[in-house]
Amino acid sequence: MRTAFHKYRHVFLVGVQSNLVYRWNFAIRATFSLFHLIAAVTLWRAAFAGKTDIGGFSLAETLTYFVTLMVLQFFIGAFNEDYQVSEEIRNGLINQFLLKPVNYFAYRFTLFVSARTISGLLVLVPLALVMPFLHEYLTLPSDPWRLWMGLPALAMSAVIQFGIAFCFGLLSFWFLEIQSFVILSFAVETVLGGQVFPLDLMPAGLFRLSQFLPYYYQMYFPAAILTGRIATPAEAAVGLGIQACWVVALLGLIHVLWTRGLRRHTAVGG
Amino acid sequence: MPAIHYLRIWLACVRYSLVRMMMFRADFIMWSLVEVFWVMVNLMLIGVIYRHTDSIAGWGPYEMLLLFGTSRLLQGMLMGFFWSSLFEMGRNIRTGQFDFTLAQPGNPLFMAATRKLDMDSLVNVIASAGIVVYAVHKLGLHPGALDLALYAALLGSGLVIHFAALLLITSATFWLIGTQGIEGSYFTLFDFARLPREAFRGVASLFFVYGLPAVIASNIPASALLHGFNLTHALWLALTAAGWLALAIFVFNRGLKRYSSASS
Repeated sequence: MRTAFHKYRHVFLVGVQSNLVYRWNFAIRATFSLFHLIAAVTLWRAAFAGKTDIGGFSLAETLTYFVTLMVLQFFIGAFNEDYQVSEEIRNGLINQFLLKPVNYFAYRFTLFVSARTISGLLVLVPLALVMPFLHEYLTLPSDPWRLWMGLPALAMSAVIQFGIAFCFGLLSFWFLEIQSFVILSFAVETVLGGQVFPLDLMPAGLFRLSQFLPYYYQMYFPAAILTGRIATPAEAAVGLGIQACWVVALLGLIHVLWTRGLRRHTAVGG
Repeated sequence: MPAIHYLRIWLACVRYSLVRMMMFRADFIMWSLVEVFWVMVNLMLIGVIYRHTDSIAGWGPYEMLLLFGTSRLLQGMLMGFFWSSLFEMGRNIRTGQFDFTLAQPGNPLFMAATRKLDMDSLVNVIASAGIVVYAVHKLGLHPGALDLALYAALLGSGLVIHFAALLLITSATFWLIGTQGIEGSYFTLFDFARLPREAFRGVASLFFVYGLPAVIASNIPASALLHGFNLTHALWLALTAAGWLALAIFVFNRGLKRYSSASS
């Protein structure tokens, strides 16, 4: 256990260093995210004109939700992990991991954590710059339970985000090109993850259905706990239970794809 | 080189793109699905917001649908006719393979911008046109041939603005070799195209309506269908398009002078 910790600690540190090389890419990406935020603020402010609430939430609560999503995206969102895994399989770089005492999933997940640590910290810079213009629109509930339940929800969301990306990467054992799968899945995740609109604004039946899908737990669920869209601890506890089930299911699926994929894999060269 | 030769070259590129699409049929179907799904994502957003409100900045649901359809039409045409070629241009500048484009007997910008057509994005154009037609029908509008011709001309000006913006962004590669994926910023900037002009207020209006032309590129054609042709707005759009295109071509040519071959 101690050896494993040391092994992946080094992977984490290497990941931090290599991601610091791309700090400008992350900073530019974060700045462009602010443009998306401005578009969302413009749209929702216009939709709220003459109204005090939409779906039971004020303009400030709705915009807080979108700001929270933007920040979470940089802390727990999967960026291009699917392509990285896919590249390593297609180029044969994965072979080196098959010969070493390294768990490939753990290795990639550690790199994901290090990358999100850097991108998450970097997004705070442009956010701090626009805070003087944004703060009047922000309102966060102060119930302590939101933090205690929000943190495990965030951790599991990160695993789900990474797990789905990892599964798509593993598809490269079967398909040469995974880009169209990834983009299609991205579109589904964007809607059902609550990034286009808060999911509770959907018709009740659709919203209920979305709560049983993994996408709900990718981003909307932790954001809804932290921003007050989930009203009670009991509701959050049920969500945490379903989210844990999805984590287990995804880990199981990864195991199956990995073992079956390896059977198809051919390592050439030395 | 006379225009007829350029037309022949372009038709050869169309033929090549069609053959390529037929070779990768499954890919074409998958990407067309992706395009249609993204349209549905945006339709869902409009549907969800209008479940809770009647108007966004004075635009009703079908008016908003018309605006959205128009903005998707513009984006679909840009993606279909120019995106792949300009995206490849950025990559070729980075790798030095842009030499091959420069070696071809023709205007470098024409050769670089029209090499490949994306057929799946042109499927998006058809879907977007369907949305516009549906919105026009639901709004009870009966545009005549002249109205449709003016709408098409305004769309043409809007397309020039989209093209100029993408060319400007891609031309930045001549100076910023290390900024891979910079072309994606086009989508961020043109995210505003689906919003009504009236939704922008104060400084945001100055910047996003008068500074960045994404908003007027879609709003003016959509308003022309809704409220009739407005000469002042049309001139505003045409002059903006001409100005942005001139700027983009100027920057591209300056970039060309900077470009040093990587292969020799």
